[in-house]
Amino acid sequence: MVSKVKDESLAAQGKLNVDWAEKNMPVLRLLKSEFAEKKPFQGTIISACLHVTKETAVLMRVLKAGGAEVYLCGSNPLSTQDDVAACLAAEGVNVFAWRGQTAEDYSACVQSALQITPQITIDDGADLTVAAHNKGINAWGGTEETTTGVIRLRSFEAEGMLKYPLIAVNDARTKMMFDNRYGTGQSTIDGIMRSTSILLAGKSFVVAGYGWCGKGLASRARGMGARVIVTEVDPVKALEALMDGFEVMSMKQAAAKGDIFVTVTGDMNVISKDHFPILKDGAILANSGHFDVEVDVKSLAQMAKGVKRIRPNMDEYTLASGKKLYLLGEG
Amino acid sequence: MQMSFANQALCAQFIAQNKGKLSISVMRVPDEIDNRVAALALKALGNEIDTLTPEQQKYLASWH
Repeated sequence: MVSKVKDESLAAQGKLNVDWAEKNMPVLRLLKSEFAEKKPFQGTIISACLHVTKETAVLMRVLKAGGAEVYLCGSNPLSTQDDVAACLAAEGVNVFAWRGQTAEDYSACVQSALQITPQITIDDGADLTVAAHNKGINAWGGTEETTTGVIRLRSFEAEGMLKYPLIAVNDARTKMMFDNRYGTGQSTIDGIMRSTSILLAGKSFVVAGYGWCGKGLASRARGMGARVIVTEVDPVKALEALMDGFEVMSMKQAAAKGDIFVTVTGDMNVISKDHFPILKDGAILANSGHFDVEVDVKSLAQMAKGVKRIRPNMDEYTLASGKKLYLLGEG
Repeated sequence: MQMSFANQALCAQFIAQNKGKLSISVMRVPDEIDNRVAALALKALGNEIDTLTPEQQKYLASWH
């Protein structure tokens, strides 16, 4: 066994969490019994780069039930659940992940997940696929979980760099219309509530981006009693947001009004140095996109005269004017 | 996440079944997989849905 996790003794707690997730994922339970019978992956090596959570662990169980030898690294240095990683290692998945990795640890783990040439790659953000290409791996094929990864892979394809077939799982209707809208919509609200413990009702809640994630987030925030403002760059989506009953305006205008801002765009500098001076004192900034580029944290840090961690996942940035802005989850 | 991950599992199976036959491109999830995931979710949640009768299919496909 070649796994590298934070603490193997957490496996028992991890198993409780993974079993709970499996109980609540009946679709994967159906596939697990089907695969256990048909063994579609007998003798196949699958490398995966996903957030190492209890839900991912259930997918790993499904692949293993199908006969695969599985290698798994985290798709984010901060998102690994260490008990889940320990549980998977104990169940025979080759796991390379722990919470709180440096950038070097993270890249090393992606390499570890490719130490034995896989026939199939499963990715979330395209880091594994890019690393596999750099290693000259010609897999049978791979899948990509998220919007950001699909955008990266399409650029790769346009430049003629693609070496093996890839399926954009992100674009499946049964993914976007459900996991993006209802899943990300709910978990973003949950993340904001846990890190701030504020009341959402009556707050001015700005959603940047009205894709499936943005739609779900906006309607859930409205359900919590927030007054929701949507910003968009696509006129059709902006009009849709308006007719769905949300206020629609530019980020410049919204910056002066919002209490809470969430970016769900997949692009960079959506809330930038042009906006920080306009924001209200006490404004809360969060990103629900894949990479920490949607809020320009670097400029915020440069403009701030002080940064203080107030709670886990919440930092207070004090600007020269004395105004305080609150950044969740380091952006 | 189960909708995503059901797509992941079925797409991985699709890749294994079609190794060497797929074009080197970024492709969409096959409609059969998308529909299968939705059908599995409905089954898991205990819902039945209707299917078109042959007569209804013919009506939809015809000039009228």
